[in-house]
Amino acid sequence: MIFNVGYLILITALLLSIFGIVTGFLGGQRRNGRLTQSSFNSVLAVAALVTIASAILWYGILTDKFQLVYVWNHSERSLPTIYKFAVIWGGQQGSLLFWNFLLSIFSVVAILSFRGKMNTIMPYVYAALLSSSLFFLTLLVFAANPFRMVGFVPEDGQGLNPLLQNYWMVIHPVMLYLGYVGMAIPFAFAVGALLSKRLDTEWVRVVRRWTLIPWMFLSAGIIMGSQWAYMELGWGGYWAWDPVENASFLPWLTGTAFLHSVIIQEQRGILKIWNVTLICATYFLVILGTFTTRSGILDSVHSFARSDVGPYFLVYLGLMLIGFLWLLYTRMPLLHGEHQIDGVVSRESAFLANNWLFAGITFAVLWGTFFPMFSEILTGDRISVAKPWFDKVVGPLFLLLVLLMGVGPLLGWRFTSPSLLRRQFTWPAVAAAVIAGVTTIFSRNIYPIIGMAICAFVTATIVQEYIRGINARRKHNEEALPVAMFQLLRRNGRRYGGYIVHLGIVFIGVAVLGNEFFQSTTNVTLSRGENVELSGYSLVYTGLESEREGNHMRIGARLIVFDAETDKELSSVLPQRNIYDKNPDMPTSEVGLRMTPIEDVYVVLNGWEAGGETATFTIYVNPLTMWMWVGGIVLVLGVLLAIWPHPAPRTQRAPQELYVPAGAD
Amino acid sequence: MTELTDVAGPGVAGNEESSAETQTQAQAHARSVRVWQAIFIAVPLLFIVLLGVRLWQTNVSEQRAAGDAPPFTFTTFEGETISLADLRGKGVVLNFWASWCDPCREEAALLEQTWQQEQANGIIFLGLDYLDQEPAAKAYLEEYRVSYPNGPDLKSKAARDYGIKGVPETFFINAEGKIAYMVIGPIVNQGQMEQGLSKIRP
Repeated sequence: MIFNVGYLILITALLLSIFGIVTGFLGGQRRNGRLTQSSFNSVLAVAALVTIASAILWYGILTDKFQLVYVWNHSERSLPTIYKFAVIWGGQQGSLLFWNFLLSIFSVVAILSFRGKMNTIMPYVYAALLSSSLFFLTLLVFAANPFRMVGFVPEDGQGLNPLLQNYWMVIHPVMLYLGYVGMAIPFAFAVGALLSKRLDTEWVRVVRRWTLIPWMFLSAGIIMGSQWAYMELGWGGYWAWDPVENASFLPWLTGTAFLHSVIIQEQRGILKIWNVTLICATYFLVILGTFTTRSGILDSVHSFARSDVGPYFLVYLGLMLIGFLWLLYTRMPLLHGEHQIDGVVSRESAFLANNWLFAGITFAVLWGTFFPMFSEILTGDRISVAKPWFDKVVGPLFLLLVLLMGVGPLLGWRFTSPSLLRRQFTWPAVAAAVIAGVTTIFSRNIYPIIGMAICAFVTATIVQEYIRGINARRKHNEEALPVAMFQLLRRNGRRYGGYIVHLGIVFIGVAVLGNEFFQSTTNVTLSRGENVELSGYSLVYTGLESEREGNHMRIGARLIVFDAETDKELSSVLPQRNIYDKNPDMPTSEVGLRMTPIEDVYVVLNGWEAGGETATFTIYVNPLTMWMWVGGIVLVLGVLLAIWPHPAPRTQRAPQELYVPAGAD
Repeated sequence: MTELTDVAGPGVAGNEESSAETQTQAQAHARSVRVWQAIFIAVPLLFIVLLGVRLWQTNVSEQRAAGDAPPFTFTTFEGETISLADLRGKGVVLNFWASWCDPCREEAALLEQTWQQEQANGIIFLGLDYLDQEPAAKAYLEEYRVSYPNGPDLKSKAARDYGIKGVPETFFINAEGKIAYMVIGPIVNQGQMEQGLSKIRP
């Protein structure tokens, strides 16, 4: 009964969103306050309805209502409660509802925070937000009803996909969804700006923060996904250029490019067409990514069970594309730049190069992801594009990008004088040279040497910027060191938070370099008491341990890790396999891990014989991997600093602006 | 920039009193803008169309999989080669199992018992061992005295073609080679078994 109500609620929300789109659009055209208000109310009402529908589905999941097909297929009685919460995004229909739920929350927060501001744009923003909602409600009502029921009550459900029964998997999809969904907000503002022809820099300024928030979630989601792959999938790596990974990476790339290029638009009034295109492309890629994961057109470990949502997505993608290009073409003359780019050695050109690189990487990833599929359609042969191709093409581009990350902020707007160049680059260049020298001890390969040198260079530029900023404050305001630091971040969080984000990226880069070039691995079968040596470690297999837990068996093999030279015991690791009652054919793997800042000892249990007398392992030593997770945390902190509300309009010119050689932001 | 309120066509932001030469330049410019605009629409649309083609292909191949039993050939643990294509005209019960799979044990005795009764009626039972080790699998077959043909599903090829969700899973294939019935999970009782068999008896 209540579930039928759930379905009715979805239909009501669908009708209301159509109403809100029409009133919003007309309200904007006729500058009619009452229509606009109706549209505003529709956003709130749709949000409330979708929230109630989600609550009903959650209720069904938590109370084991197996007459719901969705609950039957994705849950079971003995599933721990925490994972029952996750069931809502464990399958197609539920995750579409959940997506809509998050979109509603984002929309409400966004429109409330802009209440009474930007009155020409907002009606269109309401309409654009509701049109995203409308699409997902259409899916839920016509193609993927989460409240479909069977005529009887099954005894027990089929169980949640074992790969999802992991605490990372509980938050990783939520983070990704928040990142995906949040991009609907800047997209809506871009559409609003285009529709209302208010194409000055105002929408760009307000939208930056609302892009940073989903960008942070998207970054965190991607990092958590790689953490999950690293800990659970057990192939020794954190990123495989799998189509679904790429699907989440593509909007990140264009989103990051957008975050940078809006800065030039704010400062210099150029690149307007490019910015509108970037943010619309980001949302387009979000929808494209969702489509590819859910339609079954690409083979991937992440794929959802197939269903009939595919054609809807294609139609939506087509409509978005045509609608956007029509808007863009008709508004073209309003989007001309106000200036030209002056000097080659200027911050603008660094930003421009940054954007070209991001565009290049996006194109390469897009190509690599879809080329195998298209080649199959057109020629009948499947040409697979795998990790080595991506590494070779995208790796060097990223290295350049990281270099630019260090160089860009040091250049002045418009042009840079040679004396400024000398002042800015001396110390970072020295740091780079030193680290390059140190790296040659470990490797003769040129790539990691260049890579590490670039990372050192960027780190040095960031430290230098901080030192100068703090010193300037201390001199002018006679503040103590911690106060100066705090004030610096508080007064100019966008700039200095941005540097922290860059630092996070450098850490991630260091981890990637370590793993790509210095990883060592071996495959062994060990009997009880036998040992194996790998790059300075000695591992002794001591036996199998098993444990019954809720809905699965946990079987682990204990290994003691020794230092191979001193025979000092370092720790013990327990790689495991989990065998789930409902999915015994999909044993999941849990790696045994000893993590240190220098390197990880990483052990995968492949199998065992004779009740554990012998067991087979794949062992990796992965240098510097921990810095990837540290980098992820640093990155999120940096974004938080950047989006933290700044003290209201500055009453006096902040002293650091006197110092800042290259212009704020 | 400010005087531009509405827009007739792209690239007309020139001034009126320009000479004929600059006018032809402006026209050439407008034309190239239009070409680029067309390209920017065409390329992504082509991309979407290709996605559509792919989606259609995927759906078609899935419908086919739902009806026709994918062909497979395997070598039994005894060394005999069996191919589904040679079994046209018989009802085939294809069971995916593994020695490490506990629910498989629930149905093992029932499968063997039914096989004993039904082989005279033109029904053949086949077992495909999924992701397993041979000694363990043989011990399992010994334990339940399984006498119908069983063999390893090498590289899980058949399992993938049949799109099994797990083991055990049983497919009832009729004399025309179509999947008539399937059971995900163990066959728990005689009634369920009969339901499948009734659809494939030649």
